[in-house]
Amino acid sequence: MAVSTDFAPPFKLIAPYFIIGAVILVLSTFLLFTFDITTIQSVEPNLLAWVHLFLLSFVMMVIFGAMAQLIPVVLEVGHFAVDLYYVIYPLLFIGTVLMAIGFHSVPIILPFGGVTVLIALSIFLFETSLTIKKVEKYNFVILSVLIANIFLAIGMIFGIIMALGYAGVIIVDIPALLHAHIFLVFVGYVGVTIMGMSLILLPMFWLSHSFSWDYVKSALVILALGVISIALSPILNILILDTIGYILSIIASTLYFYQVYIIYKKRVRIENDIYFKSLIFSYISLLTALILGMSYLVAPSEKLIISTGWLLIGGYISFLIVGHLYKIVPFLVWYERFSPLVGKEKVPMLADMIPQKSANLQFWLNSIGIIISTLGILFESNEIFYSGVSFLSMGSLFVLKDIIYMIRFKS
Amino acid sequence: MVTKEQIFEAVSTVNDPEVGFNLVEMGLIYDASCDEDMKVVVTMTLSTKACPLHQMIVQWVKEAVLRELPSVMEADVELVWEPEWNVSMATDEVKAKLGGM
Repeated sequence: MAVSTDFAPPFKLIAPYFIIGAVILVLSTFLLFTFDITTIQSVEPNLLAWVHLFLLSFVMMVIFGAMAQLIPVVLEVGHFAVDLYYVIYPLLFIGTVLMAIGFHSVPIILPFGGVTVLIALSIFLFETSLTIKKVEKYNFVILSVLIANIFLAIGMIFGIIMALGYAGVIIVDIPALLHAHIFLVFVGYVGVTIMGMSLILLPMFWLSHSFSWDYVKSALVILALGVISIALSPILNILILDTIGYILSIIASTLYFYQVYIIYKKRVRIENDIYFKSLIFSYISLLTALILGMSYLVAPSEKLIISTGWLLIGGYISFLIVGHLYKIVPFLVWYERFSPLVGKEKVPMLADMIPQKSANLQFWLNSIGIIISTLGILFESNEIFYSGVSFLSMGSLFVLKDIIYMIRFKS
Repeated sequence: MVTKEQIFEAVSTVNDPEVGFNLVEMGLIYDASCDEDMKVVVTMTLSTKACPLHQMIVQWVKEAVLRELPSVMEADVELVWEPEWNVSMATDEVKAKLGGM
């Protein structure tokens, strides 16, 4: 077996991804105060600006940082050119900010932001593809990385076509392409990546053993078919493909949820730490979103689909990412700063590097915030929504503080 | 020559920084031997194949043997995945602290 740590990137390369991600989390949370929840279904420019800022500069930024470290672990080969990660984060950050400004008030700069993001994502895909090429024997997780990257590449192309259309450079049917773009990037890349990576990370942190992977394997195939179905819908102009895609995605998510439940039941490490609590809230959000999503299919309503999307982004993905930050950041800092001292002097355990009280506080603030803000969407009440956002704002500040604390941890 | 028990005791100075237990009480050390040339071979596994500290832990085991047993001339680690590790291989104390048993 290859040795993953030989190829581990230096922490100074990965740290900016997490710091920028946490800063953008704070910024985008405060920007939620500018939303009018009663008119949000009209997809206003500030909503588009927010979604891109949040998904690209928080979700994707943190995922890319984590992938810099996880890809060698999962693929058991070194990066093709890990130094390329030094240019991905500034380009992704600058491009996203330009896109957000473009969506919000200056449409003409949108293509410039879009192209900058395109370059950042292309470099990431280029590096990852050539790293995958070094793999001799494929397994399920490697396949998930490959599929996720193909969806990201196609989603990127849809996005740039839409950006050109939005800026008036070309004429395209933007609403028709929007669903495909969202699904390819959000479900196709982020969703598939989470499915694949969680099979490595959950059993590792929970010490789960002797379980079948059948459910998640089926989930991956079904989810991929769902994404393909939705991506083909605007190209072939067959609307039923959209509905088929949604149904397949819900089935896949349900199977994935059940797989996580199996891993949870098989765990031998029962520790209610911040990682465990964050993941439990994350998966409860996924389950609730699935119920709301199925309700939408039965009785379509804008507030149901918006609250489903909000729970998936703000609850499921955010808690999953933040929970993993409390594992990944201490590990990287420990590896860089303390592992050379093992056997020579007393070194801290990874758990010692987490500010427990602060981490718990952010968990409760963010949990309460998500519950109240979701109720605000369901009741179409700005007052309730802003109350929830107040909790989320405070919670996000604690996340940022904790990230900085862990990065600066000395002993 | 050193005994298997002495080697296990030397390796027990190595802790997993994630779970906080030493490798011996975790049940990760399967076997150990020492030949006439004072070469020690430790047969061990890890709790997961995806362990990001993989190589480092192997290196710590070698260093611990050489550090704790000065008469040993060479230390090597044979990393195996069969039998696959599970919590039943850990000591009762570890099982109790993990809370899963």
